[in-house]
Amino acid sequence: MIAGIDLGTTNSLIGVYESGFPTLLADSDGNRLTPSIVFYPEQENPLTGREALRHQAISPERTIVSVKRLMGRRLGELGTEFLHGKKGDAAALHVAGRVLTPEEVSSEILKKLKNIAETRLGCEVPKAVITVPAYFNDAQRAATRKAGEMAGFTVERIISEPTAAALAYGLDRLQDRSKIAVYDLGGGTFDVSILQLDNGVFQVLSTHGDTRLGGDDLDEEIAALIKRKTQVIPSSPQEDIRLLEMARSSKETLSTQESCTIRLPFLQEDKSIELTLTRAEIESVCAPIIRRTKMHCLKALEDAGVPLAELNEVILVGGSTRMPFVRNFVAEIFGKVPDLSQHPDEAVALGAIIQAAILEGTLRNVALLDVTPLSLGLETFGGLMNVIIPRNTSIPAKAGEMFTNAVAGQAGMKINVLQGERELASDNWLLGNFEIPFSPSAKGAARIGVQFSIDADGILQVLARDTKTGDEKILELTSAVEVSDEAVESMLAGSLEHALEDMDARIFTENRLKAEEMLPAVEAALVQLCNELSDEEIRQVRFYAGEVTSALESKETGRLKNALSILDNATQSLATRLIERAML
Amino acid sequence: MYDPFSLLGLERRPLLAEERIGNAYRQLAGTLHPDQPGGDTGAFRELGEAAATLSDPSRRLRALLGNPAYSSPRIPQQASDLFLKVAWILQHSDRLTEQYAAASTSLSKALLSAPVQSLFLELNATSTLLQEWRTTLDKELVQLDLSWPSHDPDCVLELADSLAYAIRWTAQLRERKLALQGIFS
Repeated sequence: MIAGIDLGTTNSLIGVYESGFPTLLADSDGNRLTPSIVFYPEQENPLTGREALRHQAISPERTIVSVKRLMGRRLGELGTEFLHGKKGDAAALHVAGRVLTPEEVSSEILKKLKNIAETRLGCEVPKAVITVPAYFNDAQRAATRKAGEMAGFTVERIISEPTAAALAYGLDRLQDRSKIAVYDLGGGTFDVSILQLDNGVFQVLSTHGDTRLGGDDLDEEIAALIKRKTQVIPSSPQEDIRLLEMARSSKETLSTQESCTIRLPFLQEDKSIELTLTRAEIESVCAPIIRRTKMHCLKALEDAGVPLAELNEVILVGGSTRMPFVRNFVAEIFGKVPDLSQHPDEAVALGAIIQAAILEGTLRNVALLDVTPLSLGLETFGGLMNVIIPRNTSIPAKAGEMFTNAVAGQAGMKINVLQGERELASDNWLLGNFEIPFSPSAKGAARIGVQFSIDADGILQVLARDTKTGDEKILELTSAVEVSDEAVESMLAGSLEHALEDMDARIFTENRLKAEEMLPAVEAALVQLCNELSDEEIRQVRFYAGEVTSALESKETGRLKNALSILDNATQSLATRLIERAML
Repeated sequence: MYDPFSLLGLERRPLLAEERIGNAYRQLAGTLHPDQPGGDTGAFRELGEAAATLSDPSRRLRALLGNPAYSSPRIPQQASDLFLKVAWILQHSDRLTEQYAAASTSLSKALLSAPVQSLFLELNATSTLLQEWRTTLDKELVQLDLSWPSHDPDCVLELADSLAYAIRWTAQLRERKLALQGIFS
């Protein structure tokens, strides 16, 4: 039996295909959603899901949330207090004196799901299909697969979330011939995919997304709004968590109501919070984040070659699509009212179960043709990206390249493998590198064919064949995200240095850089707008700019920060005028 | 070497509707996908390559000529002006989007809106020129299809090269256009 799993940023689900239907499995309390939270006690084994949720408010420093955002990532791309080490290292977490990889933390969630399923079904559930955001790269997919294996599953397939949602939508429309878009805005990630449904064949035409854009970001904006309105400055992680929880629950309430009252009794020793939030208020702080999804939708349509007029349906999935603002925005982008027939939290898991049934052979005449979301290539001389397998190629896929030795007797050649869409190699994600072995031969006589294949999970394999000898070998792609024991050691050592780092100096430098950008910008704006500004306005802006200059000289962090924010405010109207002028 | 036309069960000619290629592909892919009983990874990949080849008019023409080796690609004479325009726009829009991303205050971002706006107009004008060139090439393709199978291989190869450039430049301009639009929204 193969289970289908939606391993979400905030919640996870599991289910199996039973008597012709995809069925989600609930825990003993009847909950189908398991919070993707892990709590690490001092000694005992970690707690997961609802049990961990209870500890979050009391011991946030021992509780890991949204670990999905760290999967397959490296330090330097992330900023969170749990993380330590140096830029470029694989992300690892320090919790309760342990160093944990994101895979380990994820595997705890998967173990919990496995346990729920096995309790419910009364039999072992050894295999699974696990979903990932469509825009996950090779390292992130491989990390997810590894988490599954650590939890004791044989991972039969990694599939993309919007694709899974499309399967759930299309299962009772197998005779259809239509083009659909799936807009998936979850807790931590955003994806959009364009698919063609054709008599049981689900062909993904294109996919785009942002693996760091989701409901979590909205919660943070709303929490910031609450802080601004109440003038509260949290003094502990516990207070931060309570504010975030409040932000999330008000976001949910305001999806159905126009306003709500927030009460946080004794948030701080002498301070309780009570305030009213309106839907319009939270929409205005969330709008900039939600608007970022538009570009991805347009790119996906372009890549698919599907004009808006040919699109038959837009499907919404992911918890964040419950917000009326999101629904209206999607309707605006695609020019049609989105289809709400799919359960925002459950469609992806149902799709994973359907894919499991296809693999088991219990569901016939349904085929899913998925794509690789990112182009795969090699670094060529001059630091450019040479695309070998372009994005949106149906997987499994393969492509080859021939290599030869540049000098006689050359033993091998190092090749960097990249994933991404940028022209410069260094702007793309370095998947890793491998060494091509040459047999001893004259210059240009060695012939090594290297074949790249992307398997059905979207994970890369590299095979080298010496065309002279016929020898074949699978090249080990030294993954840049494998953590060695030494790396863990050095991360531990690094974390001590990290603690001693002078925070104040760092904040001052950040603000100094901002000031150095701001001051010339003010001068340029004054020159360009000289005919439109009154003497009084010019005098005022110059005064605030002068304050920034003297704050810079004083080297006082607080003063500089303050002066900058005043100057920023004072120049808002200049910025607006510059934009208006450009649009004329 | 396999023949993409026969693999997809389509006739060998210069003009093939995108929809027919897609339908033929999906029908076969639905049975050849390795998840299906009797599916075959190798055959599935080959089918994918065949469909990709036929969907691109330039590669389709090359396939009709038996895939001659790529010689050093030359910019076609009638497109040399266009090439310079496209290259100029790519360079400038990349620089502007980079500057915009690096700007951390709303004032320094606002200062970039005038140059972005004028580049955007330039880009639209070039897109129109490119579109006109593509229309000419498409007409040539129709002519070729009408007289098929009689053809001059050199002319077909030249048309294939021109189409390859037109397709690539169109994609590049579109990408930049979206990037610049991203700045406005």
